[in-house]
Amino acid sequence: MTGKQRKQVWNAVQLTLIMIATFIMLVPIVWIFLAAFKTHVDVYQLKLFFTPTLENFSTVFDDPYRLGEKLFNSTIVALVTVIFAIPIATCAAYSFSRFRLRGETTMLVMILATQFVPAVVIILPFFVMFRDVGLLDTRLGLILVNLAIVMPFAIWMIKGFIDGIPMDTEEAAMVDGSSRLQVIWNIVLPMAAPGLLTAAIFCFIIAWNEFLFALILTNKNAVTLPIGLALFKGEEGDLWNLLSAAGIIIMAPMFVLALLIRKYFVQGMTMGAVR
Amino acid sequence: MAEVILKNLSKRWGDFVGVDNQSLDIHDKEFLVLLGPSGCGKTTTMRMIAGLEEPTSGEIWIGERQVNDDLPKDRDVAMVFQNYGLYPHMTIFDNIAYPLKVRGTPKAEIRPRVERAAAQVELTQFLDRKPKALSGGQRQRVALARAIVRTPKVFLMDEPLSNLDAKLRVTMRAELKHLSRELKVTTVYVTHDQIEAMTLADRVAVMKHGIIQQLGTPDEIYNDPANLFVAGFIGSPAMNLVRGRIEGGQFLTEDGVKLSPIASEDRSEVVLGVRADDINVHEAGEGDIDAPIYAFENTGEASFLTVEWGDQRVIARGDRHLRKDQDDVVGLSLNPDHLYLFDPNTEKRIRL
Repeated sequence: MTGKQRKQVWNAVQLTLIMIATFIMLVPIVWIFLAAFKTHVDVYQLKLFFTPTLENFSTVFDDPYRLGEKLFNSTIVALVTVIFAIPIATCAAYSFSRFRLRGETTMLVMILATQFVPAVVIILPFFVMFRDVGLLDTRLGLILVNLAIVMPFAIWMIKGFIDGIPMDTEEAAMVDGSSRLQVIWNIVLPMAAPGLLTAAIFCFIIAWNEFLFALILTNKNAVTLPIGLALFKGEEGDLWNLLSAAGIIIMAPMFVLALLIRKYFVQGMTMGAVR
Repeated sequence: MAEVILKNLSKRWGDFVGVDNQSLDIHDKEFLVLLGPSGCGKTTTMRMIAGLEEPTSGEIWIGERQVNDDLPKDRDVAMVFQNYGLYPHMTIFDNIAYPLKVRGTPKAEIRPRVERAAAQVELTQFLDRKPKALSGGQRQRVALARAIVRTPKVFLMDEPLSNLDAKLRVTMRAELKHLSRELKVTTVYVTHDQIEAMTLADRVAVMKHGIIQQLGTPDEIYNDPANLFVAGFIGSPAMNLVRGRIEGGQFLTEDGVKLSPIASEDRSEVVLGVRADDINVHEAGEGDIDAPIYAFENTGEASFLTVEWGDQRVIARGDRHLRKDQDDVVGLSLNPDHLYLFDPNTEKRIRL
């Protein structure tokens, strides 16, 4: 076998492995995608060719499912969470990165440690507290919970990006005549922008997909999309076609986001990794 | 434009002393080089002048004003960093314009001033690019242009050439010198490279362990070193330092090799300093002393002979046409007008 042939064989092997991995990952999504356009009758058959229908999508937005409300709730909760989380986390991350604080390491580890606490453990205190202050089944309550979930993650991630900005650059800006705030606004934020965007998207995804807290802390007014899926388990059995249509609606923003930020995403991931 | 005065300046981190109670007057329009090995406190001194480091004690004056409590932005200095400290997300134009913009210079004034600064460092055609599209030398020019676009009271330069390759460093050094003579602004320049110090400085402050060892013109530092450290640090190759004693007007090395007559009383412990240039090379038997060659190096412009005097090796500089081989024996004589004696215990110079 010549070197060229060996290379071709190796390429083929690689391609096959990638195809297998992709296939395994995509099968459920493809199934859902197909099911979303099938009728209730077709859904149990593994047909690749059928007459597609958009009826499922209109059904899920109608009574009694009213997915529109859940979509609205999810959007508000995830967006507001991100809008608050990123600026606050950036301030915290900048301080951790640039100032030597008393008990800094302990604080950072504590922040990280909150991530290790299983959600089920703290969900009861949350429920009791929210009941007492009237935050049960409100979007504000969910936003607060989501902030608590994404903040540690966002602080650590953004700190990584800010650590990667050379101190020289900031000091140059200070000597050039900037105040600390001007340094942050003119230099640090633009340079950390890919990182902030990455963190924002991660936070959005976490908040958008959050299930457990929304399940326990909401029941009617503030129900989000993931919880909404449970609606399609009716007396008639599982309504897979409707469930799939709702699933597509949940996934759609993720796909769009992934496409939009592909470039920054990779840049952000590697920028945090290598200083 | 202003003078910079440091009064009893110290910087300590816990037990570690960065700068130890140093005072220094930097004259108006002077180019002062802080020279020393890494960790000697030269960069710390400069960072304290810039306001990036807070002194533990002591006063810093720029012009008529004590600036200890001023933020860097209020000290009216411009700084060039070793790693350039450019703003990677801005174009070269915006990089150079930043000090003007952030200080609220009227928009109409900014463009001509940036263009003039860029022209001074020959960057005019790169103004639309981002820093990452430039070479190291060009980036350093951007950093320079950003410093000279304003007329600050003081320029601070922290090893600005040390990230450049050897050839570029020589060119940039000349450009820096030209520029500094043109601008006539008080400049503090930090380097560990003694050639940079010698060529650029009006005065050099040689530092070690947070203490200024000697302050003087390049000539004084080179020809009249105050102590062993300065003698060994300045010059390339470094000054030969030979341990020995003086008996009856003769210098003898530790192992008793008789080297050279010297006008000094008897001393039991002494270090003789002599530069490679001040050792004359002769044929064997024609000098004051014969010595075997340990290594012969020909650099093209000169030849350097490492010879052995007892256990100690010294370097002598020979004519560029001289050709010798390892283990050949040559005659050497020392130039009696340029011998230095040091006390090995205090490391101080013994004046003859």
